[in-house]
Amino acid sequence: MTTTSRRAVVALALAATLGLAGCAPAAQGDGAEPNPTAGGTLTYGRLASANDLDLHTQITANNAFAIDKIFESLVSFDEHGKIVDWLAKSHEISEDGLTYTFTLRDGLKYSDGTDVNATDVKFSLERNLAKEGPLMLTAPISEIAADDDAGTVVITLSEAYTPFLSELTSFSAGVMPKDFGGKTEDDFFTAPIGTGPFAIGEWDPAGDLNLVKNEHYWQDGKPLLDGLDYVFVADDNQLLQRLNAGQIDAIEQVPAANAESVEKGDTTKLLKSDSWAIEQIFFNTQKPEFADAHVRRAIAQALDLPGITQATTFGTARAASSLIPPAIEYSAADAFDAEPVLAYDVDSARQELAKSAFTDGFEATMLIPSGNSARAQIAQVVQESLAPLGIDVQIEAIDLASFRERFKAFDYDFMINSGQSDAPDPNGLVTFQADPEGFSNSFWTHYTNPEVTKLMHEGRTTADGPEREQIYTGIQRILASDVPYIPVYYSPNLHGTTAKVHGLESLPNGSVRFQDAWVEAK
Amino acid sequence: MSAAPRSLIRPVVRVVLRVGGTVLPVMLGVVTAVFFLLRLVPGDPAVMILGDRATPQALAELRAELGLDAPLWRQYADFVGGVLTRGDTGDSLVTGVPTAELVLSRAPVSLGIVALALVLVLAIAVPLALAAANRPGGWVDQVVRIVPTITLGMPLFWIGLLLIIVFAVGLGWFPVGGVGSPGSAPLEPLRSLVLPALAVALGMAPPLIRSLRAQLLEVTEAEFVTTLRAARIPERQIRWRHVLRGAALPTLNLLSVNLAYLIGGTLVVEKVFGINGLGTLLFQSISSRDFPVVQAVALYCAILVVLVTLVARLASALIDPRLRGAR
Repeated sequence: MTTTSRRAVVALALAATLGLAGCAPAAQGDGAEPNPTAGGTLTYGRLASANDLDLHTQITANNAFAIDKIFESLVSFDEHGKIVDWLAKSHEISEDGLTYTFTLRDGLKYSDGTDVNATDVKFSLERNLAKEGPLMLTAPISEIAADDDAGTVVITLSEAYTPFLSELTSFSAGVMPKDFGGKTEDDFFTAPIGTGPFAIGEWDPAGDLNLVKNEHYWQDGKPLLDGLDYVFVADDNQLLQRLNAGQIDAIEQVPAANAESVEKGDTTKLLKSDSWAIEQIFFNTQKPEFADAHVRRAIAQALDLPGITQATTFGTARAASSLIPPAIEYSAADAFDAEPVLAYDVDSARQELAKSAFTDGFEATMLIPSGNSARAQIAQVVQESLAPLGIDVQIEAIDLASFRERFKAFDYDFMINSGQSDAPDPNGLVTFQADPEGFSNSFWTHYTNPEVTKLMHEGRTTADGPEREQIYTGIQRILASDVPYIPVYYSPNLHGTTAKVHGLESLPNGSVRFQDAWVEAK
Repeated sequence: MSAAPRSLIRPVVRVVLRVGGTVLPVMLGVVTAVFFLLRLVPGDPAVMILGDRATPQALAELRAELGLDAPLWRQYADFVGGVLTRGDTGDSLVTGVPTAELVLSRAPVSLGIVALALVLVLAIAVPLALAAANRPGGWVDQVVRIVPTITLGMPLFWIGLLLIIVFAVGLGWFPVGGVGSPGSAPLEPLRSLVLPALAVALGMAPPLIRSLRAQLLEVTEAEFVTTLRAARIPERQIRWRHVLRGAALPTLNLLSVNLAYLIGGTLVVEKVFGINGLGTLLFQSISSRDFPVVQAVALYCAILVVLVTLVARLASALIDPRLRGAR
């Protein structure tokens, strides 16, 4: 084929696609939704395989979002991050915040048909504590008592710990049969049994995962699907093309640059929700320049965050103004948007830098993981924005594994990375990003502020309410003013589906609930 | 023809021995180079498995469990020892699945692309070269000389993307990617291999076309062809039996030299088409620093290259009478 004719074909193909998109009935999906039908299989395209289903040792999304289909916890959260009773039909917290009593739903069964009882919950939570995995319950638990006849689990803490309920919403606080239902640990996790809407069908740890309907699921008539196939597709462009061609029903991740085309496509829909993740610029405060708060403040004021957000996320994300994202309680984002702690102002940035020991600027290298185009773009804007201050920024892009090794060894000047909460409580993020005593050393910034540390401890023991809100607003204000990191934007979850898919529920942790999902007959 | 088999035995044995003699050193070289190069690159498999929020204790425990805390020479000795004594390339650090099992389950689809690409590249290159050499300097010749140079300059993933846009998304003739689903028609997997194989073939064809065309022209000018013509052997017979045969040998050699490209191209193109073959396994394992899997894929690919080279040499020996003689 000659180039001209190839171009002609490409042009024709593109024109055909665009033309079709243009004349699509805009009202599709806006009117009456068709009635749900049960049965069928939904194929879900993902960029990584589920390679381990042990709920107590895993944290990464590829495994977490398969594990949470199989195991469920006493409490969970909805799409807005609100905590709801799940396997427990009710829960009670004692006045002093030390005793948590959970009553299990009646007639709960595992996917193999056996009964769920309180002893299983005790066994599961105790294994969570013993494994010391990345999502271990950090509450000071002194006793877990199970009463199988009453169907209650009573958990006693040695001191009040308000984030406890939110920690229990994690998939790692999921319930599994006591003593692995008589199997060995290894055997159990090759085909785990839980109370979730789906159970393991066929599983290739380096490839696809086929989930089948849990016939004994406690939510009546659910899931609607007979099967859910997690299809592994290594390339995000390929993922998108297959969705466009209707070869798969839904995809886990839509690149921000393509969000609009998926939203407006006549055969596709965009599913968007707020998340618990924040894209941030982190400073290594062990570097003399970044140890100087004036320098960090100057940089914060030199960056037009709404502009950066609009340009790099194609309008899909909201620019950040505080550490805690709006989908988590006590976020100060709305307040700080109205009245910024440090507004974008290049003149103020210059004045701020003049107060530092580096009035003439300096050189610094910004570390980013390669293959992430949004981060590469942010880095370029940062480079441009800091040049007027005399700060000469070099950008170093390296692969993810090397990137992690470098920042964990404090071998970086400043970097772009994301922080993510695992639970709908502000304590998780604050502990991970501002606790100098923790292993992450304030997210490898080495930032230490006794006032923040003090407030952090208070936040954990103060019961929910205005007083606790004040504590976290205070922490966010100090961090926004001290700038150990600059929250750039709150990343949205962007999933794509074909027009025939209905009932998916996007959760703020990036996972999707499928118990209400169904696919129109093809 | 009756004398042929006997005259073939010695050269075949010689080729097999010569290639066989290089296999072991090549394998050992590949294994050693991959082993140490991988460990020169920064990046901790334990961190990739447990994620950013793993505590230092958890990381240390996992490293110990995976044997990553042992000295490097020990890890190397264990690996080479396992390969030499039991043919065992170890287990994946990430999935715990034996690497041989992983490679074997991914190999058929990758080999399918390699084989199909080989067929396609010949189906593209031979007729085009023949047509071009038929009338040197004619318009067909001009087109055949210019157009393939354009695909030569295109990166493989881009050719793949173009094929997807035109033939899968635009025309809908082929699946966008993957290799069929469990419930699909029996021929579906084959159909989904066509575009990836075509992408590799298009990337590989230009040098082959050029070489074959040049050889054809050279042989046409050769003295023995003039002699054949003088003997009034029909032109058609001269072209098919003598000229093409004479030109095939250097092309076959070029093809065997390009094998690395063929296999490498297949690995690249798998990612573009979202095919879970050896290439995807390799990329996945490199980015997660799953050392044993990378080592195993490299080792098996090296074995494959050596084997195919052997086949190509044997084919050359069969075609070229000069190679059969005692030289």
